[in-house]
Amino acid sequence: MQTAMDPEQMFKKKLTLKILLFLAATDILETLTQLCFKKSVFSAIGLDSPGLAGLGAVLKTAFSSPLLWCGFAAVAVTFIIWSTVLSKIDLSVAVPVASFSYILVPLASIIFLREKISILRWAGICFIIAGVIFVSLSSRERVKTE
Amino acid sequence: MKPAVFLILPLIMLSSACDTINQLFLKSAINSLHTSLSANIWQVLKFVLRLLKYPRVWFGFIFSLVSLCLWLYVLSQADLNLAFSLDSMHYIFIALSSKAFLREKVGIKRVSGTILIIIGITLVSLS
Repeated sequence: MQTAMDPEQMFKKKLTLKILLFLAATDILETLTQLCFKKSVFSAIGLDSPGLAGLGAVLKTAFSSPLLWCGFAAVAVTFIIWSTVLSKIDLSVAVPVASFSYILVPLASIIFLREKISILRWAGICFIIAGVIFVSLSSRERVKTE
Repeated sequence: MKPAVFLILPLIMLSSACDTINQLFLKSAINSLHTSLSANIWQVLKFVLRLLKYPRVWFGFIFSLVSLCLWLYVLSQADLNLAFSLDSMHYIFIALSSKAFLREKVGIKRVSGTILIIIGITLVSLS
C-alpha cells in the first residue's frame, strides 16, 4: 500500500508529453500483441464448441503458433515500458489514456484483418478521444491544486 | 458462428477483473519502490529487476495469464473491435479500485473523462 507522498513526488505525477509518447509506444505494442494473438487463434476458430472443451482446443492450437510467441515478446517489452510509465503517473490516469489503442486497433483491423467499421463506432472513438483528453487534464489539474 | 453477447460479456468482465488485479499489484509494488527514473536504459532495467523481486508482481502475472487465456478465447469467438470495446469497461474497475486501494485522487475531471470513454465504448459495442 501507498504511504503519504511528498510534494516533489506529487509533481512527478503529471502527465507529460514524454509519458504520452511512452504510452503511445505501449499502445502500438499492444496493438501488435493483439494482432499476433488474433492471427494465432484464427486457425483455432474452426474447431470452436463453446464451453471448456472449446477453450482447451483453441488454446492448444494457439500455443503452437509462432505468432503467439511474438505476442509474448511484445508483452515483455510492454511490461518494461508500462512499469516505467506507472512509476511516473497514477494508475487511474495511465489506464484510460492508454485507450488510444481504441484508435489504433480498429485502424489496424481495417488494414490487416479487413474488418469493417461503422459510423457509430467512429462516433464512439471520438467520445473516447474526448474522455482521454479530460483524464489527462485531470492529472494536470491535480498538480496545480495541491 | 458468433456466440451471444451474454456469453462473451461475462468472460470479458472476468478477464478485465483479472487484469485490474494484476495492475493493482504492479502499481502497489511500484509505489513501494519510491524510484524516480531517468532516461537511462540500465536504470530502467535495474528498476524492472527490482520490481520482479516482489512476490505480488508475480501474483499479478498469474492473474494476467488467466486474463490472457480468457482473452484469447474471447478473441477466437468475437470480432476484435467488439471484444476490445467491451474490454475497456475495466476502466471502471481501474478507477474504483485505484481510488479504494491505491488512494489515488479520482476527481471530477477524471471521472467525467472515464464516463466519456465508457460512452464511447457503449457506442462502439452497439454498432
